[in-house]
Amino acid sequence: MKKILTLLALGVILVTGIYASFYAFDNISDTYDEHLDVVALEEDPTNYDVTGADGVADIIVAQNIERTGAENNVAAVVFDFRGFDTLGESFILITSVVGSFVILSKVKKEEKEEEAA
Amino acid sequence: MKFKDGIKEKNIIIKCGSDVFLPFSLIFALYVILTAPVGGGFQGGVLGAAAVLLIYLGYGYDVTRNSINPEILRINEACATTIYALLGFAGLVFGANFCRNVFYANGWLTGFVHDGTIGLMDYAVGYNVMTGVGFLLILMLGFLAPVEEAKKAKKKEDEK
Repeated sequence: MKKILTLLALGVILVTGIYASFYAFDNISDTYDEHLDVVALEEDPTNYDVTGADGVADIIVAQNIERTGAENNVAAVVFDFRGFDTLGESFILITSVVGSFVILSKVKKEEKEEEAA
Repeated sequence: MKFKDGIKEKNIIIKCGSDVFLPFSLIFALYVILTAPVGGGFQGGVLGAAAVLLIYLGYGYDVTRNSINPEILRINEACATTIYALLGFAGLVFGANFCRNVFYANGWLTGFVHDGTIGLMDYAVGYNVMTGVGFLLILMLGFLAPVEEAKKAKKKEDEK
């Protein structure tokens, strides 16, 4: 029964993931500059319009406020477009805290037992 | 100041140094965190956690353990991660994707946080790192503690 439930849950997650990836492929907007064709850019970088003062950085600065409403571009990337990344960082920290807490408190317990014995 | 048995009193110069530098380091850490939209959450948090090391250098493990409660730090770290996730969900509530910046032009909170939820998320990261790294430092300094060694030596002497 447990195995069937696990498989069912994993199947639901898999189907949802496949649907979400297809949906994302069509509908989710780009980070900056919707009109950028990545394949064409990779084949011929000189085609891309970088006539502004700083090239691509100019595009980012121009579109930043309209896209995120943030004054700072770095903060916009770190906490808005790549918010999942920062969330993962804090999960890494909490995992390291829990792990070292478990290991070190076990070592301390063993030392105490040795002392008692 | 009276210490427990078996603890040597530290050098007066080291104690005065930690006394003098502790408030400045904490203020600098808060300054780095509170200039949030530039993205100083992680760095400021680590600077704040270094206060644990300053107290340890000046006064030893027992005073550090008595002045900062590691259990409270652990609970606070979980709270900070939850706060970050909830602020990320604020984007979903207001009809955009996860971690989307909201509240920036609504007139609400704009005087206090001039970058919307991005600034609040940076504060949450600083809170998270400060408590988490501080807890890790206290946990690891517990293994350098001279107290238990002194107690063991005393026990051996008593047995003899």
